[in-house]
Amino acid sequence: MSKYEFVEHTADVTFKAYGRDLNELFTNAAEALESTLVRLDGVEQKETATIEMTSDSYENLLYDWLAEPLVRFEVERFAVKKCIVKIAGFSLAAKCLGERIDPNKHIFNAEVKAVTYHNLQVKKNNVYHAEITLDL
Amino acid sequence: MTLAELVRQDEYVWEVPKDEALGMHVPGRIFLSEALVKYLEPGAIQQVANVATLPGIQKWSLAMPDVHTGYGFPIGGVAAFDATEGVLSPGGVGFDINCGTRLLATTLFKEEIEQRIDEFLTALFQAIPSGLGSKGQLRLSETELNDVFSNGAKWAVNQGYGDATDLLHCESNGCMDDSDPSKVSPLAKKRGKPQLGSLGSGNHFLEIQCVDQICEKKAANLFGLKEGQVCIMLHSGSRGAGHQICTDYLKVFQGASRKYAIRLPDRQLACVPADSPEARDYFGAMAAAANYAWTNRQVMSFWVRNVVEQKFGTTATLVYDVAHNIAKLEKHSVGEERKEVYVHRKGATRAFDKDASYGIGQPVLIPGSMGTASYVLHGTKKAMAASFGSTCHGAGRVLSRKSARSSLTWKTVTENLRQKHIAIKTDDLSAVPEEAPEAYKPIDDVIDVVSKLGISKAVARLTPMGVIKG
Repeated sequence: MSKYEFVEHTADVTFKAYGRDLNELFTNAAEALESTLVRLDGVEQKETATIEMTSDSYENLLYDWLAEPLVRFEVERFAVKKCIVKIAGFSLAAKCLGERIDPNKHIFNAEVKAVTYHNLQVKKNNVYHAEITLDL
Repeated sequence: MTLAELVRQDEYVWEVPKDEALGMHVPGRIFLSEALVKYLEPGAIQQVANVATLPGIQKWSLAMPDVHTGYGFPIGGVAAFDATEGVLSPGGVGFDINCGTRLLATTLFKEEIEQRIDEFLTALFQAIPSGLGSKGQLRLSETELNDVFSNGAKWAVNQGYGDATDLLHCESNGCMDDSDPSKVSPLAKKRGKPQLGSLGSGNHFLEIQCVDQICEKKAANLFGLKEGQVCIMLHSGSRGAGHQICTDYLKVFQGASRKYAIRLPDRQLACVPADSPEARDYFGAMAAAANYAWTNRQVMSFWVRNVVEQKFGTTATLVYDVAHNIAKLEKHSVGEERKEVYVHRKGATRAFDKDASYGIGQPVLIPGSMGTASYVLHGTKKAMAASFGSTCHGAGRVLSRKSARSSLTWKTVTENLRQKHIAIKTDDLSAVPEEAPEAYKPIDDVIDVVSKLGISKAVARLTPMGVIKG
């Protein structure tokens, strides 16, 4: 099982994320998003950020969750290398390990404006999967 | 949905028949030509049909010739909803609220700057922050930011970033009165505060252009455009503030759509009745973001003018500033009636038949892809009848960013630009292929459709001499 894959979308970026459980699905989706922003091989785990949230469905929880690293990247200049996600019901608690962005060290990929609800669904066949479109 | 299901109405209009089984209230209309029809994606047709299912839509769900698949609404989409029975949809505006273009005309001519183009471009690149997460040089207080949200470009002019005549040459005079900064979240304010006066990245750009062809002399004279004249075009929007406002309200509208029992073919189309409290809140916040975007472009113009003054001892006048991601409350003819409607333009430009300051059709600014021509047009009566006073917004993508990156290298793209004597500056060379001409439809074909259809008329064509890619 691959963690995520990018699929064609004319204007924007769409990826499919996978996971054996929801924790893994949300972790992999965040990694796919972060890799759209910055080259992950150059990001080190120096600081930890804690994120907690509750929503009313897995889709809305995923939307809220992915909005977090995006905002942290822009506002706090924090790039996430690795996440440890725990989901219970429609609540999420995560530890995000990463570091402050250094333009001299990190290689940026793209500015992501937002996560969209376009075709956003969390499904389970053999594994959990979700398709996410980002607005660039 | 495929091309085979469309009914060709005439040379430039392909109709998506009203399918009641799909829940469409009106037919769709896509403006195309023989040259452009090959680019039409099934996904974009489906999105035109999906928009036609939203409550209170009037006449047609429209797509301009630069249409391509978006998320929810297609890019190039125009839809008008009855102001009382219809809806407002943040997805019909997009995340970059009031993303738009602005054109400044200098008193310089091509031959005066040709030898100094690198120096000119470098000075502009240093003066205007661009690139991923770019921040402006302004340090705003919370009160000042609220003032920006409330007053738009007028705030900038009052602070000395331009003069009062600039406001006459902006869509809505650079300010929507509907703004309500109290409906903007603290996070949106936090994101917007440091970024005022910055270009951003992606397809945002600043170009030094020169007028290479006058298509309509009378209008060109009125707009102050002459052959060979050097102009500066800016393409930017409401930065993180707009992105966050759209994100915030999409979330609210997910639940609210259910509350109002609105059936949605795509969650990104989430909408609420236009006269509901949720719609009023969104419209107040959206207008605040639109005002931020006009201020942003006004502040950047000030720096452009400083560079023009310092380097060449001359000035630049504002030709026009126009939005292409916005919702507006406007009056349009529907059948025999004049109706108030919320016109959503998502990758579409207003093209009204009258502009108070110029006395003819409103100027319309259409940028081409990087390295190709841009156009100044004017709005027409036909646009008022056929497209709720709207036209295209650009060339329209054909290649995904991913395909562009894999099929083109930045070296090839910049070499192609160099051969056309176009200088380029960017913080991020690796992203250059995403904006290459090959990734877009030919701009001349798009302009041909809107001109022949009559929803806007070409006034002047401008070619790039230097580009700052954000």
